[in-house]
Amino acid sequence: MKDLENELRKALERREPPAGFAERVLAQLEPAPTPRPGWREALISLVPMPRLRWAAAGVVACLLLTLGALHYRRVAQERAVGEAAKAQVMQALRIASSKLNVTMKKVQETDRRLPPA
Amino acid sequence: MKIPARVVRLIATLLLACCASIPAFGQNPKLQIKNLDKLSSKAAEVVDVTLDESMLKLASKFMAADKDEDDAEARELIKELKGVYVKSFEFDKEGEYSQEDVSAIRSQLAAPGWTKVVGVQSKHDGDIAEVYLMTDSTTRNVSGLAIIAADSESLTVVNIVGPVDLDKLSSLEGKMGIPRLGMEKEKGKASQKPAASHGEKK
Repeated sequence: MKDLENELRKALERREPPAGFAERVLAQLEPAPTPRPGWREALISLVPMPRLRWAAAGVVACLLLTLGALHYRRVAQERAVGEAAKAQVMQALRIASSKLNVTMKKVQETDRRLPPA
Repeated sequence: MKIPARVVRLIATLLLACCASIPAFGQNPKLQIKNLDKLSSKAAEVVDVTLDESMLKLASKFMAADKDEDDAEARELIKELKGVYVKSFEFDKEGEYSQEDVSAIRSQLAAPGWTKVVGVQSKHDGDIAEVYLMTDSTTRNVSGLAIIAADSESLTVVNIVGPVDLDKLSSLEGKMGIPRLGMEKEKGKASQKPAASHGEKK
């Protein structure tokens, strides 16, 4: 009888839980807050199928390339028109200045030929 | 019913103001030089420059981008211009253009506002060189320039719309590929304000 009592007492005696036991239990009860998905994850979540993802990425890349090319073409065209306008201005000023000076020179020559008053 | 004297004076002032502004409306420094286009087919060399205000602004933008000295001068010259129009024809032989072609331009320059500042006409070979200025009737500032230069084998008409500085235009000599003529710079000639007309004949 005494042995049985001893065994029972030993089995039922109070024991301290191992360190961190309470935290581990609490951690399992409350799941950790999930981090907010980044832009990449959000983008990926828009197209769930991996194959479709590649296709969408391709379409976006093509679109960006087209827009870039169109912008480059527009800038190049504007530059060409501007350069042509500049060349025309220079040519017009060359002619105007040259004709003006020729006229003034003719007047000077005429003045020189006239007898002094 | 008697109209008060104050109202009569006001109406008279308004009428006078309206009458005074009529010549200003009639002044147009832009010449119609399209009639010369028909000479293009006969000419050996044609220069046709048509630059309105928007094109001048665009050209000015590209001149601003360059650090060239000639560009800077040209940019300064065209800064406030509203248009630059040039038609220049070089012919292989004489008599390809008629006096009517020149008269069509001259008749427009007889309109109010235009003043012939220089005119040289050679009796021997028929060379013409004429410079006209349009001045604003109210501000007396130059608002347009026209040059007619013609000899037996060439005809050039230049029309600049806007406040053109003749001194600056003339001083481009020796720059931008313009040949230096060794012209004597005299005070009073090629000035902003139109001087008395020269109707010199050789």
